[in-house]
This record gives sequence, C-alpha cells and structure tokens, in this order.
Amino acid sequence: MDLIAKERDRLLQRTARVYGLSFTIVSLVCLSIPGSVSALAYVIALPLYAVVGFSQFRLGSSRSLLWIGPALAAGSAAIVVIAVVTPGGPGAAGVSAAMQLGAASLASFAIVLTTDTVRRVLLVGAFLVVASLTALLLEPVHSALRSVPLLVLGWTLATIVGFWISAGVPQAARRIASIGRAHRAERQASETEAQRRQGARLLHDTVLATLTLLAHSGVGVSPESLRQQAADDARLLRQLRLGATPTPQSSGVYNLEGVEDTVLGTTLESVKQRFGRMGLEVSWHGTGQVLLPSEVLDAFLLALAECLENVRRHSGVTEAHVTITDDETTVRAMITDSGVGFTLDDVDSARLGFKESVVGRLKEVGGRARLFSSPGSGTTVVLEVPR
Amino acid sequence: MTSLPEENTLGVIVGAKSQRREADATRRVIRAATPRRSSLGTGFIGIGAAVVVALRTIYGVVWFVSLWDTYPDPIPALLAWAILIVTLVATFITARVIGDQLPDWAFGLFLAGLAAAVALDLYAIWPLHDIGRNATAAVTAGMALLVVVTLRRTRDILIAVSVLGVALATAMVLNTRPDPADFAPQVTTLAFAVLPAVIGVVVVNGFRRLVQVELDRVLVQSTVSAPRFAVGMLASEELARLDLAAEELLDSVATGKTKLPLDPKTASVAASLATELRLHLIEGRRETWLYHAITESDLLGKAVTLIDKGSLAGLLDPQQRDGLLSTAWLLVSDTAKRTLDRSVQLELGPVTTPTEDGPGKKILVPIVITTTGVPRNRVDPATWEAIGRVGQYSDSTQNSSLRVDISCLVDNPADQ
Repeated sequence: MDLIAKERDRLLQRTARVYGLSFTIVSLVCLSIPGSVSALAYVIALPLYAVVGFSQFRLGSSRSLLWIGPALAAGSAAIVVIAVVTPGGPGAAGVSAAMQLGAASLASFAIVLTTDTVRRVLLVGAFLVVASLTALLLEPVHSALRSVPLLVLGWTLATIVGFWISAGVPQAARRIASIGRAHRAERQASETEAQRRQGARLLHDTVLATLTLLAHSGVGVSPESLRQQAADDARLLRQLRLGATPTPQSSGVYNLEGVEDTVLGTTLESVKQRFGRMGLEVSWHGTGQVLLPSEVLDAFLLALAECLENVRRHSGVTEAHVTITDDETTVRAMITDSGVGFTLDDVDSARLGFKESVVGRLKEVGGRARLFSSPGSGTTVVLEVPR
Repeated sequence: MTSLPEENTLGVIVGAKSQRREADATRRVIRAATPRRSSLGTGFIGIGAAVVVALRTIYGVVWFVSLWDTYPDPIPALLAWAILIVTLVATFITARVIGDQLPDWAFGLFLAGLAAAVALDLYAIWPLHDIGRNATAAVTAGMALLVVVTLRRTRDILIAVSVLGVALATAMVLNTRPDPADFAPQVTTLAFAVLPAVIGVVVVNGFRRLVQVELDRVLVQSTVSAPRFAVGMLASEELARLDLAAEELLDSVATGKTKLPLDPKTASVAASLATELRLHLIEGRRETWLYHAITESDLLGKAVTLIDKGSLAGLLDPQQRDGLLSTAWLLVSDTAKRTLDRSVQLELGPVTTPTEDGPGKKILVPIVITTTGVPRNRVDPATWEAIGRVGQYSDSTQNSSLRVDISCLVDNPADQ
C-alpha cells in the first residue's frame, strides 16, 4: 500500500481514538452520577464500557476492523442495559450517558469507516443499528424528536471528519510531490554545479598552489611573481563564478591545458618552474612526450605535485629527481630525493595526506602509488597511471 | 612557524570534520518552496472544519428556537446568536481573503465576538438556573473555535477553549442548583463546548505532522536518481563560497591591497581556505546517495546508521535504491508510538561474485539490516515488498529484533 495512504489511516485512527475515548469518558461520568441507573445496571454496564474504551484505544494503532465489531456490540449492549435494566427507566443522567455513547462515542468509529466501500457499508449498518436502538429504547423517557437529531448530527459530524481528512491527505500529497519534483531539479542543478566547479581541477590545482604559498606568507617566492600568479588565479576564479568553464591555457608561468589529450612534457616543465620558485630544484629524466587523457593527466600531475611538495616540506634537501617512463599500458613517475627519509611505520601515511591526495586521486583514474623510504637514505615514490 | 595553523599541501584535515548541514539545507528548501507551511493542505482541512461548525450552528439554532418559550427574555439570546453567526462568517471570509491565515487583530476580534455571544447567552438564561439544559450559543461558541483551528497556533486554541471551559464551569457552579438530577446536562454541555476544539487541535496537529513526514520522505526520495557518488545539497554552494573567498584573497594580493609577505593572520586565512577547498574537491564526491539521504532526512538521520566502506550503495539501480530507502523508512517510521526507541543499521559489502553465472556479469553486494526495537511480527507487510525490490533476502531475529540479509545483484562497475 501507498505510504501516504498508510499515514492517512494512522491519522484517521488516532483521531477516532481521541474522539471516541473522550466521549466514552464523558458518558461514563454521566453514568456514574447518582440516580442515573440502578446499581445492577451500573455493574453490568461497567465491563461493557471497558470493552468499548479498550477497543477505541487499540483502534488508535491498528488498521484492523476487528476492534470495531466488539466495540460496537459492547456499546450497543451498554445502551440496552442503561435503557432496560433500571426499573422505571433510567434517570436524566442515564439518558445523557446513553445519548453520548450512541451519538458521539460509538460515532467515532465512522471516522475510520470512510476509506473504502466495504467500510462505508459497515458505517451505514452501524449507524442504523446504534441510532435505532438508542432512539427506540429511550423513547419512553426521552422523546425521539430530541434523540434522533442528535444521533444524526453526531454520526454526520464524525463521517464528515473522516471523509474530509481522507480527501485532504491526497491533496496535500500532490502538493508535496510537486515540491519533491522541484527539489529533485534543485538537487540535480546543485550536482551539476558542483561537478562543474570540481571539474575545474586544473584551475583549482593552481589556486591551491598559490593559496599554499600565501599560507606560508609567500616566503621564498619573489613578491612580483606571486602577485602575478594571484592575479591570474583570481581572474580564472571570476570566470568560473560568472558561469564560464575556464579551460585556462596558463596561470602565471604554470601552464594549464584543458584539451582532451595533453602533452605531458610542457606541463611537467611548468610544475618544475613552480617548485623552482619555491626553492626546490626538480630534475626531469626520461620521456618528455606522453599523451594522456585530461582527467588522468590531472590526477597524475596533482599526485606528482603533492609528492614534490612533501619533498620540499619534509626532506630537508633542495633537490628532487623525477623520472618518467612509459610502456604500452602505463605511465610511471619515480620521485626520489636524498633527504632525511623516514620509517614507514613511524609516519602515519594519512598524516602526510598521502592516502587522500595521492593514492585516492590516482585510484580514481585506475592508477596506484607506492612509497619507499628509510631514515637517512631518502624517499622514493612511484606513481603509475594507465595510458 | 608555530603561529601558523596545522596545514600542509597534502590536505591533512585540520581540526574536526565540519558538521554536515544538509538537514538545514532541506529545511531551507522547504521554506523556499512553501512560504507558509501551514497552507500545505490544511486550508482544505480548515474548510472541512467550517462545514462541521456550520452544521453544529444549524443544530444549535434549531435547539434555540425550540427553547424560545422558556426564556424570560429571549432578546439577549437572539442577540448572542446574531453576534456568533456574524463573527463566524466574517472570520471565515477574512481568513480566505487574506489567504489562509488570521492576523492577531482578526483573531482578537473573533475571540471578542465569541466572548460577547457567550456572555449574552448566559445573561439570557441566568434566571432559569440551569445552564446545562438551556445554553445554546455559549456551547456552539466552543465548537466555533474549529473555524480557526488551522489558522492559529495550537497554544492559542487551547488557551481560548480552556478559558471558555472555565467560564462555563464557573457559571454553572454559581448559577445551577446543586441537584444530582441536574449534573448530567451540565457535564454534557461542558463536554460539547470544550471537546470539539480539543479534538480539532489533535486532528490538525496530526495532519501537520503527516505533511512534515511526507515532505521529509519526498525530499529524500530525490537522492534515488543521483549518480553513484554525489554531492549533498549544500556542496556546490559551499564550493562557490570558498571559490569566492579565494578569489577575493588572491585579488587583494594581486592588486597590492594585501602586502607581501603576508601577516600571520591573513596567512592563516589562506591556509584554512586551502584546506577547506581541498576537502571539498577531494572528499566531496566520496559519499553515496544513501549517505546523503540519511543525513538530509530528519527522521532517518536520527535512527539509521550506515556502514558502507566501499561506497557500494552507489552501485544499486534506482529501483533497488527505492526499495532500500523505503525499507529503512518503513522500519523507522512505522510504529504506533514514535517515541519508541527504534534504530536501524545498514551494512553494505564486501562484494562477492555470485556462485552461479547469473544473467550478465553481475556482482553481489550483501546488505545486512540489523535493527533494535523492531519485533519481527510488527513489521509492516509493505516492508517485505520493499526489501524484495532490493534483492533476495532472508530474515531472522537477533536480540529479539529483526535482522535481514539481502543478496543484492548489481552491475559490475568495471563493465560500465
């Protein structure tokens, strides 16, 4: 069954529970007033009230029709007991109790008997039985002219409550569904926008590099070139913000290419220059001309740059060697330094960000990274990406 | 360099992971989409309440006419009815014209009208010394509060109806003879004056909660069509904010507004910007639709824990996702008492290859649903149907609560 229909039924059931129980209690209060009915009638009626009350309580959490039958039977029986058992007929309070039971407490079941045809048939039957029983049996002490309108009003109001809630829920559901559609569109737009911004990786790589320089107060870089680089990056970010997807050709002296296949060599040269500015001499060896799909190239370059940054920050030396080799399936970069090195077990690789930025990023494009180091004998990182 | 924050170029997380705020985003979206939440279907319920009040009013007027001869002076009672009816009609029309709401002044006028009707009616029947049998407009005034039940806060209605109840009860005690034979009409009258408004409040609150739950579900449902890895609703906004902050900083460096070398404060701003930006670029797409669904939902967020190390939820096709989400939903929400402590844990993986060659080259993602506080026999039948949409399953009981093992066949991502 529909989830919303389930929620609707739950609402109807709870309404019926509150409605029914309140009037059952009021009816019981009236019945308990001295002079309402004889003691015998009161004693017989009490368990019947208990059955009605318990069923109404259970009805609040169960969709089953099972609770309605016994409750209606017990309620009708209670009305009969009130009307018949007391010699000379019930007092005014007894009449009130019976009327409340017939016109309000038992009418509460109408609320849950509106949802399908079978239930509606039951509703009509229940009304006819309870109303005729109440009106006929109380006739000697309470004119039908007064009881019938109240009975009709009570059952009509409860039925309207049931129907109206049943009709209101689908209406609300339709409105909610249209909000849901709008939300889905917004989620997709948000996703696309995030993709566009995250897709501008080359741009972000250069922005991040510049920010990192700034984070170290720009120490070790000539203010002039740093300003130039900042200006270029700010321009690219502005383009991104204004809706263009910048495929920058260069930022400062850091070359950027967004074309499908990019020559690795020229880009490597720009990485070298960037680190040169920060005081790390990078020497290239091996292949200069490798064509890679742009997303693979992005990951490869980022990983490479992160490794070099690690060398710059942690190794204690100012020179690093990068050897690029390639075969049919793989492009490989080996980054070596002769710095302080470290014991692999001592340094949590996550703390170096190695796992996140290098391994994670290569993995996304099907590559991998390996790390070799020991104290005093430098560090070697091997990066591999598929061609 | 100790003054600088812990920052390095490899994206080490500085400080704790920032709190996810998707739930806020969801709320924001709802607010944007429905400037007045109360108008979501409660307008219709309000009209229903008005119909009920109209019927009750007709009944009350008929009763009043039949009692006409018993009044020493029926004019104040007639006046009470006139004021009551005018107040009801005027309030109903005002609310519809203004657009399903009732400003304070209109509510004040409405209450003043009701109070006048009650006072005049009581004045008219005071010499009869039996309020229970003779009050007509005063009783209907209690039910009349239903006209505004969808337009005002619960508290307003409850306070108004309590005041009316206390006023009627006091009048009865002061005015009516202390004779047990007269008790029943007093009790009945009081109940008919007070209970309808109270029941109305219960209905409207239930309806509002239904709308809330359904909204929550529908909004989260939109994750079902998300790609394998998705960003949350706020991710792009966050990224845009960071990009803008970076742009401003770089711009001020480029124009020379910020002097080089940077002072430590600006440097630390740059450092934290770089870190946040990295986190958003690298981490942002590691979460699956299911993660976002759970964090964005008020209801699921509180009760569901997700263990999905391999981000396998992203491999499920839309139908399986829908099934899994509905299952979690039904297990958490389908309880008579929502206060009951229910929790659901979803564990996905690790991947295995099915023993026999299934159709195509599929891989098998085992999903284990463990719960607390969900007895096997109280599970809604719709839940099994939802689980069936995810894959073949077997259910068992663990710590007297439900446990379901699902074998979910998905396309091998390597083939795509």
